Amino acid sequence: MSVGRILGLTARLTAGLTGWLLGAAACTFATGASAETALKVFVTSQGQPAIWRTLLDQYEARNPGIKVNIELGGTTSDMQAQYLNTVLTAKDSSLDVLMLDVIRPAQFAAAGWTSPIATDMSAYLRAYAEANTVDGKVVALPAFADSMFLYYRKDLLDKYGLQPPKTWDELADAAKKVTDGEKNPNLQGLSFQGKAIEGAVCTFLVPYWSQGKVVTKDGKLDFDRDAATKSLALWKGFADSGVAKKNIAEVATDDTRKEFQGGNVLFAVNWAYAWAMSQGAESAVAGKVGVARLPAIKGGEQATCLGGWEWGVSAFSKHQDEAKKLVEYLSSPEVSKYIAINGSLLPTYGKLYKDGDVTKAVPWFADAQAIVETAKPRPVTPRYNEVSEAIRTTVNAVLAGATTPADGAAQIEARLKRIIR
Amino acid sequence: MTTSTLKERATRATARRPWLARWSDPDDTTLAVILLAPAAILLGVMIVYPVSRLIYTSFLDLSLTSGLPPRFAGLANFRQMPDDPVFWQATWNTVLITLITVPGSLLVGFALALLANLPFRMKWSVRLSLLIPWALPLSFAGLIFGWFFHSEYGVVNDVLNRIGLPGVIWFNSPRLAFAAICLAIIWKASSFMAMIILAGLQTIPRSLYEAADVDGAGRVRQFFEITLPLLKPTIVVALIFRTITALQTFDIPYMMTGGGPGTETATLAMYIHQNTVSFLDLGYGSALAVVMFGLSMCVTALYLRMIRGGGTAS
Amino acid sequence: MSATVSSGIGSALSGKPLRLIAAFVLVVNGLFPALWILLTSFKTEAELTQKPITWLPHAATLRNYVQAFSDQPLLTFLFNSFMVALLSTALTLLVSVLAAYALARLNLRFRGLIMSVIIAVSTFPLVTLLVPLFEIMRALNLLNSWTALILPYTVLSLPVCTLVLTSFFEGIPRDLENAAMIDGCTRFGALFRVVVPLSAPGVFTAGILAFVNAWDEFLLALSFNSNPGLRTLPVGIQLYQGEFAFPWPVISAALVVGIVPVAILIVIFQERVVSGLTAGGIKG
Repeated sequence: MSVGRILGLTARLTAGLTGWLLGAAACTFATGASAETALKVFVTSQGQPAIWRTLLDQYEARNPGIKVNIELGGTTSDMQAQYLNTVLTAKDSSLDVLMLDVIRPAQFAAAGWTSPIATDMSAYLRAYAEANTVDGKVVALPAFADSMFLYYRKDLLDKYGLQPPKTWDELADAAKKVTDGEKNPNLQGLSFQGKAIEGAVCTFLVPYWSQGKVVTKDGKLDFDRDAATKSLALWKGFADSGVAKKNIAEVATDDTRKEFQGGNVLFAVNWAYAWAMSQGAESAVAGKVGVARLPAIKGGEQATCLGGWEWGVSAFSKHQDEAKKLVEYLSSPEVSKYIAINGSLLPTYGKLYKDGDVTKAVPWFADAQAIVETAKPRPVTPRYNEVSEAIRTTVNAVLAGATTPADGAAQIEARLKRIIR
Repeated sequence: MTTSTLKERATRATARRPWLARWSDPDDTTLAVILLAPAAILLGVMIVYPVSRLIYTSFLDLSLTSGLPPRFAGLANFRQMPDDPVFWQATWNTVLITLITVPGSLLVGFALALLANLPFRMKWSVRLSLLIPWALPLSFAGLIFGWFFHSEYGVVNDVLNRIGLPGVIWFNSPRLAFAAICLAIIWKASSFMAMIILAGLQTIPRSLYEAADVDGAGRVRQFFEITLPLLKPTIVVALIFRTITALQTFDIPYMMTGGGPGTETATLAMYIHQNTVSFLDLGYGSALAVVMFGLSMCVTALYLRMIRGGGTAS
Repeated sequence: MSATVSSGIGSALSGKPLRLIAAFVLVVNGLFPALWILLTSFKTEAELTQKPITWLPHAATLRNYVQAFSDQPLLTFLFNSFMVALLSTALTLLVSVLAAYALARLNLRFRGLIMSVIIAVSTFPLVTLLVPLFEIMRALNLLNSWTALILPYTVLSLPVCTLVLTSFFEGIPRDLENAAMIDGCTRFGALFRVVVPLSAPGVFTAGILAFVNAWDEFLLALSFNSNPGLRTLPVGIQLYQGEFAFPWPVISAALVVGIVPVAILIVIFQERVVSGLTAGGIKG
C-alpha cells in the first residue's frame, strides 16, 4: 500500500495546488464536526422524494440531534445501480441509507454492501419478506410494494360487451374486436415494454411463469427453453398481428403510460404508478380505466411480476445504529400508510390494503392486494444484473425482428448457463 | 550573441542572491524537471497509477457479486474473451465505427470546410454552424439524435414521409440502428474536422494558386497538387485524435440505442462500462480495458510512424 | 486576416447561387438539431405525441422553461459546468504551457520519448478508469467538489494542449526571448511575458479545446459529484427524466438554456478560435 500512499500524497499536493489556485471557490466537501448526527439517504428520483422529505422532517423533529439529508440518484433503476455500484465499490461512507429496487438486495448483500438488520419480517407481505432475506438474514426492509397490472379501457370493453381477458388469446380477440369496431388508426390493442429496459425482463417472465415454469430452483438454473420460446413468440405475435404496434421494440414504460393516458391504447401492461396519472387532469381517460390481473397463457395460470423498493443500510455507513433506526421507521406501518394515502404507493403490509383511510384515498388498492400477493419475484441472485441484461436485450432483439423467438430462447439459455452455474 | 553570454549577464544580475539565482535561472536539466513536473505528477496520479491498478486487476478473479475475496487468476480473464460473443460483437462494432466515422467525418469535414471557405458576407453565421455541433456535449447529441430517429415521433421519418418515402423503424434493424449511430457521430465530429481544415486552407498563400493559374493548372489539379499536400500534416494530427476518440465511442450509442437491438450496436467502451459498473466483474472489465488499451496503442503507434514518415518527406 | 487569403477551390465555387446553396447546407447541417430542440421546447407534451408530428409549435408555451427552472436548479448546473470548465482550462493551460516550453525550447535528450508518452496517454479511455479514479478521489476526500472534476479534465486535455502549444512556441523566434532576458527577465519571466503573449492565438486555441472537453464530459461528472449543488449540466439534464417519465419538452427547454450561453460565447470568440487554428496550432 506504500506506493499508493506516496501517490496519494503527491496527488494531495497537486490537489492542494489546485485548491490554492481556485482559492475559496473550490467547495471541497466538508464533514460538519457538530454534535449532530447527519445521515444521508439515497432516494430514487421517481420514488416521490417530496413525500419522503415530509416524513424525514417529522423524524428529525422527533429525534433531536439527527439530521437527515436526501440524495437523489440517477433516474432509472439502471442508472442508480451504476451510481451506487461505483460509490460502494470504492467503499465510500457518504451514504447511510439506500433505497433499492427489489431486485438488488441479494446482490448488495453478496457484495457485502448492506448491513444485516435484526428484525421480525412476519408482518410484511410474504413476497417482500422473502425478497429481503438472504441466507436467513434480513438485509433490507420494504419501502413500498408494486407489481405489473393490466390496465384496460372500461368504457370500450363495456361498449363491445367484453370482460377483462383471462388469457392472452382472449386479449388478442378482444383487441381485434374493439380496434376493428372503432376504426381509429391511432388506437393500439396492447402496449407493453419492448425496449431493452428492466421492464422487458418482466415482459419475458410473465408468460413464462404462466406456463408453470421457473428460472432458478434452489439457486440452480432450471430453464425451460420451450416455455421461453412460447413467451417470446407470444409478444412477437402481438407485434406481427397488429395487436401491438410495429415499433414495440422502441417502447419504454413511460411511453406505454403516455399513450394509454392519451386514449390511444386499449390494454396496457404497466406498474402501479400509471394509475394516479391516468386519473389526472391531463388524462384523456380519467374515469374510464380498469385495473386487472395480467392474463395467462391458455391452460396456464395468471402470473405477474413483483416490483417495489427497499431500504438498506450501507455497510460503510459510520452511523450504523442511527441508520438502522431510521430504516425501521421508514419501513413502519405508519409510514407505509402515509405514503399509500399521499403518494398512492402500494403498502407493504397486508392489513393496510383493507384500511379504511387507504381505500378511501385509493379505492382500487382493495383489489390490488390479491395481485401483489401472488406476484412472483424475478430470479434472486447476486448476479442479477447479468441475468437481466441477457433477458432484456434478447426480448428487444426478438421484438425488433433481429432474432427469432427460438434463437432468442436459446441465446437466453446459453447466457444464463454462464451466469448461474 | 549566444545564449551563454546572455545567461552570464542574467546570472550577474542576481549574483547577490545565489539561491534565488539558481531558482530563477536554472540550467536546462533542472529547468526541464521543474517545467515537466506538474504535467508528470498529474499524469502519474490520474493515468499511470489507475492504469497500473487496472492491469493488476485484470489478472485477478475479482467479481464483487461472488462475495469471494480477490484471487490471482493468471490469464483466465483474457482466456474468457474468445468464447464471449458480446466481446466479439462489441469489438467489431468499435472497429467498424472507427473505420466508417473517421474517413466519414474527414470527408464531410472537408466538404464543409470548402463550403465555409467561400467568401460569405455573414461569416459569423457560417462559423456558428460549424462550431455549435462541436460545442454541443456528446450526451446531448446522442439524446437529440435518438429522438430524431424515433420511428413515430422522429423528424427523420417525417421528412421521409413528406418526400413520399415510407418511414422505417430505425432501431428495429441492427444495420439501420448502426447507420443512425454513425451518422450522429459523423455529424458531431465533422464540424471540428471542418474547423481545422478551414484553418489550414486559410494559411495556404494565394500566390501558390496564382502561380498555378499562370502554369495553366486546372482547379482539380490545384486541389490535389497544392491544397491536399499542404494540408497533410494538419489532417494527420486531426485524424489521430479523431481515431482515438472513435475507438472510445461511448456516449452516442449509449444514449441513442443503449446497444440495441439486442447487443447489435454495443461498443467496447460500453461493454467495459457494463462489466465494471453494472456486472461488477472488475477482473473481466479490467481485462477488457487492457485489450482496448492495446488496440488504441497499436493505432497510435501506426500514426506516430506516419507522422515521422511525413516529417522526413517534408 | 482570413479575408485576404483564399484557396483555389474557394474561388472556383464563388458564383452567387452556389454560395447561397453552400450557406444553406452549412447552416442546416450545423443548426438544425439545435433549432429543432428550440421548437420542441415550446410544444406541449400532448402535441409531441401527435401523428404526424408537427414542426412549428401549434400553441407555443413557455411553461416548459418555467418547469425546467423550477424542477431542478438549472442555473446551479450551468454555473458548475462553467466554473469547472473554466478552472480546469486555466489549470490545463498553466501545466501545458510549462511542459510545452520545455519540449519546444530545451534540448531534451528524451524529447521524442516524452512526446510519444504524451500522445499515448491520451489514448487511455476515461471510461475504463472510472473505478480507480473514483477510489483516488475518495482517498483525497475530493468527492463532491469541483476539484474532483477539474483534475481529471485537466489530464483529459493536457496532451492535445501540450502538442498545440509546443508547435506554437517553436514558431516564436528565440531572439525575442533572449532580448527579454537581457532586460533582466528570468527565464520564467521571459516565458510568461514574451513567449506566452506572442503565442496568444495558440494559447487561446488550446484553452478552447480544453474548455469544450470539460464542458462535454458526462460519465465522471455523473459518478464523482452526486451532490445536487455540484452537478454539471450534462448530468443535470439527465435528472429531468425518470424511469417512468421522459418529458421531452422540458428537457428541450433545459437543453436550450444549456446551448444558448455557448452559442453566445462562440459568436463572440469565433474569430479568435478560427484564427488560432489558422496560425498553425494543430500541426503537431
